[in-house]
Amino acid sequence: MIHPKQHYLDLFQVGESQLDTLVAEALRHGGDYCDLFFENTTYGNLTLRDGIVNAAGRHIDYGVGIRVLCGEKTGYAYAESTALPDMLASARAAAAIADGTSAFYEHSVQADANGSRLVGRRFRGEPNPAADRYPVRIHWRSTDAATLIPFLQKLESAVQARDNRIVKIIATLVWQVTDVLMYNSLKELKYETRPMGMVSATAIFQQDGKIENKSVSRSFRTGVEMLTDGLVTEMADEVVKGIDDRFAARRPKGGQMPVVMVAGASGILLHEAMGHAFEADFNRKGTSIFSDKMGQRICAEGITIVDDGTLKGNRGALNFDDEGVPAQKTRMVEDGILTSYLHDRISARHYGVSPTGNGRRESFRYAPIPRMRATYMESGNARPEDIIASVPKGIYVDEFSNGQVKIGEGDFTFFVKSGFLIENGHLTAPVKDINIIGNGPQALRDIVAVGNDLVIDPGAWTCGKEQSAPVSCGIPTVLIGSLTVGGE
Amino acid sequence: MLTEQEIALARASMAFALENGAQKVRVTLNKSLMELFGMLNGELDKVTHALDRSMQVSLFVDGRFGSFSSNRLEEEGLKSFLLDAIDTVRTLEPDPARNLPDPARTVKDALSGQELGLYDPAYEGLTSEKRREFAFFSSVWARKAELEKGFTVISEEGEYSDSLFDSVVMDSNGLYARHTESSFEIGYEVTVEDPDGNRYASYWWDATPRLQDILPSLKTCSGKAVERAAAQIGPKDHPGGKCTVVVDSECASKFLTPVLNALGGYAVQQKNSFLLDKAGQQVFPERLTILDCPRSQGETGSRLYDSEGVATREFPIIDKGVITRYFINTYIAGKTGMEPTIEDATRPKVMPFGGCKTREDLIRKVGSGILITGFNGGNSNTSTGDFSYGIEGFAFEDGRITHPVREMLVTGNFIDLWNNLVATADDARRCMSKLIPTLAFANIDCNA
Repeated sequence: MIHPKQHYLDLFQVGESQLDTLVAEALRHGGDYCDLFFENTTYGNLTLRDGIVNAAGRHIDYGVGIRVLCGEKTGYAYAESTALPDMLASARAAAAIADGTSAFYEHSVQADANGSRLVGRRFRGEPNPAADRYPVRIHWRSTDAATLIPFLQKLESAVQARDNRIVKIIATLVWQVTDVLMYNSLKELKYETRPMGMVSATAIFQQDGKIENKSVSRSFRTGVEMLTDGLVTEMADEVVKGIDDRFAARRPKGGQMPVVMVAGASGILLHEAMGHAFEADFNRKGTSIFSDKMGQRICAEGITIVDDGTLKGNRGALNFDDEGVPAQKTRMVEDGILTSYLHDRISARHYGVSPTGNGRRESFRYAPIPRMRATYMESGNARPEDIIASVPKGIYVDEFSNGQVKIGEGDFTFFVKSGFLIENGHLTAPVKDINIIGNGPQALRDIVAVGNDLVIDPGAWTCGKEQSAPVSCGIPTVLIGSLTVGGE
Repeated sequence: MLTEQEIALARASMAFALENGAQKVRVTLNKSLMELFGMLNGELDKVTHALDRSMQVSLFVDGRFGSFSSNRLEEEGLKSFLLDAIDTVRTLEPDPARNLPDPARTVKDALSGQELGLYDPAYEGLTSEKRREFAFFSSVWARKAELEKGFTVISEEGEYSDSLFDSVVMDSNGLYARHTESSFEIGYEVTVEDPDGNRYASYWWDATPRLQDILPSLKTCSGKAVERAAAQIGPKDHPGGKCTVVVDSECASKFLTPVLNALGGYAVQQKNSFLLDKAGQQVFPERLTILDCPRSQGETGSRLYDSEGVATREFPIIDKGVITRYFINTYIAGKTGMEPTIEDATRPKVMPFGGCKTREDLIRKVGSGILITGFNGGNSNTSTGDFSYGIEGFAFEDGRITHPVREMLVTGNFIDLWNNLVATADDARRCMSKLIPTLAFANIDCNA
């Protein structure tokens, strides 16, 4: 949603001339780039527990972050007030990073036109409502709780009706609307309003004295219109799906074996184990396993991995990032070759390339850093059933939960909440509560089949790299030739 | 740090909510100031200045409940915000279990905020120049050649930071309590590379409420991170099987936190706890006692009251293996009829036993096994207590570390795990709010 410019200037009680005053103050000691990030966020939440919607909240977060760059060094300060004296105090605090010796950023940009690779750094122009990627028909802020409560009640009834082993249901609805206005020393002014809706349902099942739980979530950058009867049915079906297998599942014998990952939510492994290593700050600092692999083959032909901010209504969608750089579809791996990192302005400058629109931040309290948006592997040619049929003995992963990766080494461990054994090309016994261990770049090299069934998961994924950021992930059915499976 | 004007605004907001439909109100006012100087490869990379304020308001309206917050602390704006909030609460379904804590349970001895000695006046004397000096002093990048013995330090990233936190909570039953705390922190992450190009990363950190106590760590923190990273060079496969496992105090909370969570009233009420119906029972071995020590003077994690304003006190959470109680806040007490307590463990302390002082003593005592120095992924099942975690660490034999291990998991069940606790060291880190020494467990499944 993009309102007229004056709406944002009024909201933040700031005039355009004051923006220049703040930039000048922040650069007074010789910093070579400055940006201002104004934010006004409203959060709302409703919780259904023990059969009633009995808790609600609404929260306001308002302020301005001021960043000064001096080479690749960052000075950052913020104020929770947009009164000019408070903002000037923050500008002076951020300016402390500069030591009076830096050249002006503007000068290095001038040099771009003379043949260097520093092209496309300026992103002037008004935000374009016609190209808005956050379609909103019914606004969250103007919808009262009484209008939203029936959705949670319907969701609870639908879940309860599907399985009489359910002993508890918790359903939550969380929404967030963020107004942002950004201005920088390149005189780029951007503004927009970002919506986000999130629904989750958790059911606790009891059978023969055993307890299992299962959760499902959905999240979109849209308005209240996302709360449809179709969404109720979809979530209720998913939360009970496979629960018989969950009760019957056992830990299998561990060892090295092929692993087939289901299309969709398995993309979280792609995000964690490989995606973070493409983020340019880890590469700039030399801590990524991919820091010396640009232009080299890192996996088989036919594998293409992208980070996409252009998917309308997607949780990872952006019109422009938190540095005012337009979002794009960035191909990190094309046909197996490493072709791009994910850049913010600092890393783009370091590498002499254009930023890729990945400079994101949790809020005005944080300086932006390279972050993923919607990260997925594009479809290949194999049919999912043929991939399973090709495995004599292995594991089929249906649902991952906690994963962790060490960026420097690429080592990862992922917890498999549910899946199946593959025996002689068929899914047989259900398995659960096992870990898969491997190394991200090695696992990428060991991908031997990519399905033709890419699914981008609609769940409420949040990346926690230093700061929280909403993301989404996806993958087609994929066969990794060998991973360590920890079992009995 | 909170001003009289800000505290008066909190009081006025409570009175306004009561005048406009709320029957009971709790207001919490928080303010914090943080300064950070970050280093990258021996150079200043980041300077951050952060001042935060927020007001949280819990509203009890016609038997209904809602929780609201704002950082726009302007009187007129807050009035409008509170009126909207009261309207929102009225749309909810009644929940008779919602209530403020009984005034008899709330804290009476937290008036100045400084009763626990967690505020160091030396904070006020720190300047930007001094903080910058601390940050530069803490980096070992300029002398990394002295540390590089068969490896190269390829990245060193760290930061010195300090903060001041001030909080007041008040409610319409007459509660007024304050907590003020300073904190001084140093942390480093280092990546090293062996001659074959393999990379290994590690970290170290320290934090303390007193400036004087952080100064020794400024000198040693980054070097310790280098040492920890380099120690991982040359990992070997381990056959796994049933092993004795020693868990370093730095990461031992991975095994204790799920137990404390399972004692939480919310998990119990939702039947999502592997310790359901176990209060009062001998679940763990007699040698295991865990005390909550919330009122220790000058110690990280100490608090005189919880978020409801309920007074903390020292008590055994697990007494010689017996679970003494669940943590039941006012709401869960209302839902279940159970006796209310503080809402969570504040500063739990696993009581050392077995006579070992250090991690090395403990390794010598248990002989052979796996030393866990970090976890990498994995999960636990809150309903069953089953867990499976990726680990990093070392094999040890005859009381001596032999080599790093790779791609290993530990699996089991938390009740079984703690029943296999055979001894502890006495080396809990004071910078943590959970005081857990290095722990030794027997017969743990380790998978390679």
